[in-house]
Amino acid sequence: MTQEPHVLVIDDEPQILRAMRTILAAKRFRVTTASRGEEGLALAAAQPPDLIILDLSLPDLDGIEVCSRIREWSQVPIIVLSVRDAEKDKVAALDRGADDYLTKPFGIEELLARVRVALRHSTQASGSKQVVVHAGDLEIDLSSHVVRKGPEEVKLTGTEYKLLAHLASNAGRVLTHRGILLAVWGPADSDHVEYLRVYMRQLRKKLEDNPDEPQFLLTEPGLGYRFLADA
Amino acid sequence: MQRRLVRRIGRYVGSIAAVGLTTGVLFSLRHWLNTSTVALLYLLPVGLSAALWGLGPGLGAALVAFFGFNYLFLPPYFTLSVMQPDNLIALLVFLVVAVVISQLLGRIQENLVRARAREHEAIHASEMIKALTGLSNPQGIAAMLADRVLKTFLADHVEVSLQIDAGEDSERVVLPLAIALPREHPTKVLAVQGMNRLLGEIRLWRSAGSFFPEEDRLLGIFASEAALALERSLLAQAENRARVLEQSDTLKSALLSSVSHELRTPLATIMASVSSLRTGEVDWHEEARQELLSAIEEETDHLNQLVGNLLDMSRIEAGILRPQRSWNLLSEVIQSVLRRMRKHTSHHRILVEVPEDLPLVPLDFIQIEQVFTNLLDNSIKYSPPGTSVRIRASILDDKQLIVEVSNEGPPVPAEYLARMFGKFSRLPGVESVTGTGLGLSICKGIIEAHGGRIWAENQPSGLAFRFTLPLDLEGLSAAQPVQT
Repeated sequence: MTQEPHVLVIDDEPQILRAMRTILAAKRFRVTTASRGEEGLALAAAQPPDLIILDLSLPDLDGIEVCSRIREWSQVPIIVLSVRDAEKDKVAALDRGADDYLTKPFGIEELLARVRVALRHSTQASGSKQVVVHAGDLEIDLSSHVVRKGPEEVKLTGTEYKLLAHLASNAGRVLTHRGILLAVWGPADSDHVEYLRVYMRQLRKKLEDNPDEPQFLLTEPGLGYRFLADA
Repeated sequence: MQRRLVRRIGRYVGSIAAVGLTTGVLFSLRHWLNTSTVALLYLLPVGLSAALWGLGPGLGAALVAFFGFNYLFLPPYFTLSVMQPDNLIALLVFLVVAVVISQLLGRIQENLVRARAREHEAIHASEMIKALTGLSNPQGIAAMLADRVLKTFLADHVEVSLQIDAGEDSERVVLPLAIALPREHPTKVLAVQGMNRLLGEIRLWRSAGSFFPEEDRLLGIFASEAALALERSLLAQAENRARVLEQSDTLKSALLSSVSHELRTPLATIMASVSSLRTGEVDWHEEARQELLSAIEEETDHLNQLVGNLLDMSRIEAGILRPQRSWNLLSEVIQSVLRRMRKHTSHHRILVEVPEDLPLVPLDFIQIEQVFTNLLDNSIKYSPPGTSVRIRASILDDKQLIVEVSNEGPPVPAEYLARMFGKFSRLPGVESVTGTGLGLSICKGIIEAHGGRIWAENQPSGLAFRFTLPLDLEGLSAAQPVQT
């Protein structure tokens, strides 16, 4: 990217806006801020940003509502900000097209890491899809359906592969239980979170060095899963 | 009351019959008896009547005997006139003796009746008192009073109304149940008078006869006993309320002092570190800078955890902590907790022993994560660095899972084992360890909301926290996916 990426922050707390402006500007981002939902929507339309950071609790509009209204016309990556215990809101926002979330309070490394992942994802989405995903000693070839761990090829069942492929092609993003179930099992089984648990355990056993301390197939508490690929 | 009247008339009839019978016997034997013997023998039915039936019937018997004696046994026979002066004397003496005997015996009899009536009254009153002592609620007192009045006074209907608080609706009991009260005025209305105000009233309907004074008195005793019981119960309630208020007050001040202390400590560290870094006077070494920065970071984490705990506690208190249970792998929850607490647990060995074939458990991921976080936090705080903390899980029976988090810390005095799960409960003698005393009570709130139990046990190696979780979600166990 030749010019500085443009980030729009929508949050009603002035202290958060101030901190975000300072930190992101220091990291060479161009920052626009909005303290209300409607204002944010207007700004996003007037000067389309490369990334939106959106607080879920806004004084005028529900953050989830803002999220789905942006998704009506734009695929710009959205990172939602929320507090602990608001898992329902996070899931709702993720299901309506948000790409990632951050729980307040958050550290700056975490914020920057999420911003980088989201921006990379958006450039990939506009360009060609990555065909081979690397994660540590794992290699997932999405075109030939071959999964390798080190030199060995890993044998996966049809559903296991479908699940892994869905996670890997969305590497870095949080995928909600429901979203994964819809994509892999279909609408009829979208409530059977237990299927997902069983298959995730199987995948971890086959792919992780220590299934109890997964390095790639990460659990997002109360939300879903995230596949962590090499940058 | 008609029965009483019948009984009374019966007594007179009895006494007259006794005299009549005596007269008959004496008349048939008149040729063998002299006048004075007849007079003596006539005293028998008089005395008997007075002794059995009281003064009135005794006097009645004396009068009838007097005329019978005169008419049948004193010449001229079959007249009421008397010929000889000594016979007149005998007749008068007879009358006096008969009357005196009647009076004496009758009075004794009356005293006896009165004594019996008093005894009766005392028994009823004491039964009433006994029945009322166990009662502490106004509804119970009203019901008991109505029941006693109905049975003791053989009433047709009883209505008792007691007003618990001035200006409030009164507690009303009507007996017998499910029968409408008659339209006419009650036979008896009595106020239940308390110390300072009218507490209510008793209304009684009885078709049979009017009220006797002793009944009036007994009803009065009932009313005043009920008033006493009611006031006692109201006092007890007020005392209870005062105690609850006092307790919640103590709790609130404990919360305030504990929380303000706990909140200020990290804030003080943060403030000191930030202002140190800001000041231009000292040129901080890189190492010192890093030290101050990590202090800020750690204390901020601590504050965040504290606020989370307070929020959880207030949710539990308000009864709005409802777990969103869904099927989960326990190992995944533990894994997520350990990942997040990695920095925190670095001075201890954390050993996880969760069988691979453990079934899926219905639980709220975030809340159970919180339980593990608090139990681990506790285990780490109270056991020396370098020791192990063990997490174990197994199937207890086909309905429950049991989880154990144990450490190698010192044992906890038996009396604190249960108390540990109370709010703001801190072990004595460990003031150096920071905490609000909320962590374990939050665990208890969450586990109980999940339908499980949590407790602590001393073990030879250290302290163990154990909790159970039900394995079924609304009566169902986890569905198994078709392997494809």
